[in-house]
Amino acid sequence: MPRAARLGVFIVATLAILVAGIFIIGSKQYLFSSTYQLKAQFDNVEGLDAGGDVRVGGVHTGTVRNIVLPHKPGEKVTVVMDLGKSTHEIIKQDSVVTIETEGLLGNQYLAISFGSAGSADVRDGDIIASQPPLEMSDLFQKTSDILDSSQQAIKNATRATANLDSISAKINGGQGTVGALVNDKQLYSNLEQTSSAMRDTMVQAQAGVTDFQENMEAMKHNFFLRGYYKSRGYEDSAELARDEIERLPQGTPIKEFTFPAKQLFGKQDSAKLKNQKSLNAGGEFLANNQFGFAVVVASTGMEGDTQKDLVLTEARAMVVREYLVENFGFDDSQLKTLGMGKQTGTNSDADWGTVQIFIYPAGTEIPPNKQTQAGVSSTAASDQPVQASAPATPKSQ
Amino acid sequence: MIEGKFRTVAGTNPLLPGPRTLAVPAAVNSSKGLIIQFLEWFGDLGIFFWQVMLAAVTPPFEFRELFRQLDEIGSKSLPLVALAGAATGVVLSMEARYSLTRFGAKSLLPAAIVFSVIHETGPIITGLVVSGRVGAGIGAELASMKVTEQIDAIEASAVNPYRLLAATRILACILMLPLLTLAADLSGLVMGWVAQALVEPLSFHQFINSGFKGADFNDFLPPTFKTAVFGLIIGLIACFQGMRTQGGAAGVGRAATSSVVLSSLFVILADVVLVKFILIFFP
Repeated sequence: MPRAARLGVFIVATLAILVAGIFIIGSKQYLFSSTYQLKAQFDNVEGLDAGGDVRVGGVHTGTVRNIVLPHKPGEKVTVVMDLGKSTHEIIKQDSVVTIETEGLLGNQYLAISFGSAGSADVRDGDIIASQPPLEMSDLFQKTSDILDSSQQAIKNATRATANLDSISAKINGGQGTVGALVNDKQLYSNLEQTSSAMRDTMVQAQAGVTDFQENMEAMKHNFFLRGYYKSRGYEDSAELARDEIERLPQGTPIKEFTFPAKQLFGKQDSAKLKNQKSLNAGGEFLANNQFGFAVVVASTGMEGDTQKDLVLTEARAMVVREYLVENFGFDDSQLKTLGMGKQTGTNSDADWGTVQIFIYPAGTEIPPNKQTQAGVSSTAASDQPVQASAPATPKSQ
Repeated sequence: MIEGKFRTVAGTNPLLPGPRTLAVPAAVNSSKGLIIQFLEWFGDLGIFFWQVMLAAVTPPFEFRELFRQLDEIGSKSLPLVALAGAATGVVLSMEARYSLTRFGAKSLLPAAIVFSVIHETGPIITGLVVSGRVGAGIGAELASMKVTEQIDAIEASAVNPYRLLAATRILACILMLPLLTLAADLSGLVMGWVAQALVEPLSFHQFINSGFKGADFNDFLPPTFKTAVFGLIIGLIACFQGMRTQGGAAGVGRAATSSVVLSSLFVILADVVLVKFILIFFP
């Protein structure tokens, strides 16, 4: 190889290395690609250097051109950075610059967040928003505070554990009530025995109640007691109000029967029917005609105790209803009762009172059933989902 | 006295380097103190440098000799320099891997190799290798020309030996050292990558990318071109030691040895100053 050629190859090759080196470093510095400048201001740049990386979305896309100290106290340090044109689509006016550290002890670099889609584009030389860097000393301060408080918490927990320890030791040792409960097998077996004994007792008591009811039933039919029930006219007081409604329904009845109590019942204070045949007119009407429902209304005159008279009218209405239901064929759920107690004026035949049967057409609302206990009846009435009738409505609301 | 005799022989050049050298202190005037001899050596070197400068900037220029020296110093040193650079790269890669792994910073290995090679290892290895090869070559060549009175013959034929012999060699050293440094850098990086890739797969592209991350022109150009100063030192000292030789074959050997020793020493000493200089002016 001639000397000149050898020398030429050497010089060209080494200069090529030089150029390659310059281009590698230059491309890292964004010297040979088209760039634009952005600025950001910080109180403290935390040792960021000119030439430092600028990353957008973690990608190295620019470099810190220079860092300018403020001219006056109270102003901020301005960081000027060159960014590759490719980032122009991503960085918008609302992007935020932060100073980040590579690892715990690494170099500082700038990170720019993506802008939002609707925001305006940045122009060359714009100042964009920045976030103050997280200072390591602050971080350490916070960490130390957290450590202090957690130390306190651990102390408390230790104390609590010690207490628990002593408590559980006492329980284990059989001291105190809980200790006795936990440790005394005798107590447990006693308790078990007691509860099984109680279960037996309950079974026996249930059997006793059934027996008692049967006995009571038998007694009602007993020779000595039968007379009382017989003269009273009915056996079971619990059934007095079973079909009783609260009040008379609105609307006019299609048919109305009135029977003087003196004709029907044996005594003035009894509900025992004497001349029940006279009710047949009402019964036949019910059996042969279409109707909505019917009410047996009983009332007494002004004589006697008010409470007793109320029970008596209820009993009479029930007895009349039972007679009609037993002797005439119609839907017994359509026949209701109502004991009015003492009534003045309409009563005939020297205060024995009357029994009336009101028959209402189909479509008439049935007033709610009366409760066995008078005190509950008014509230229960207003709770009923039945369409409210005119006079009752304003009162209950 | 000797100078006077020298002058009568050489005729035209009263300031040709005298026989009193640091490398051959015993030959003449042992009565003088070591410090005086040292200072005289520096004085002579300065005068020599001045003469060469004057000769170099005045025509006629010795281009043929310059090209011959460029080839001799540059392209012929390339294999040696490249090999030395490659070996350094491998050693750096292995050593840096060991210490960086201990600190858990293995990912910084490419950067460690790249920065170490282009900052310091490439330039200083090139300087030392060239001072060994070229310093010895120039020193021995000029010394033998001196002792066989060829330099006198050149002078007698009205050719300035500074211009023909010294200036061309010194200029060739100055021009070629940075280029050789680039070659050493490249082979060091490539072999550093090879040594790394053999242990742990890594593409050359990625190696260069992460190695040059954060690199600046100040990391690359000043360290590379500071070797021009090394070239000046090597060429100047080798020519000086060669052209002031006295006393036959032994003098040639002494000149060759002292050229290598002194140029290597001054390259390293100059590097201390140059590194500080670069740190100050190219932060």
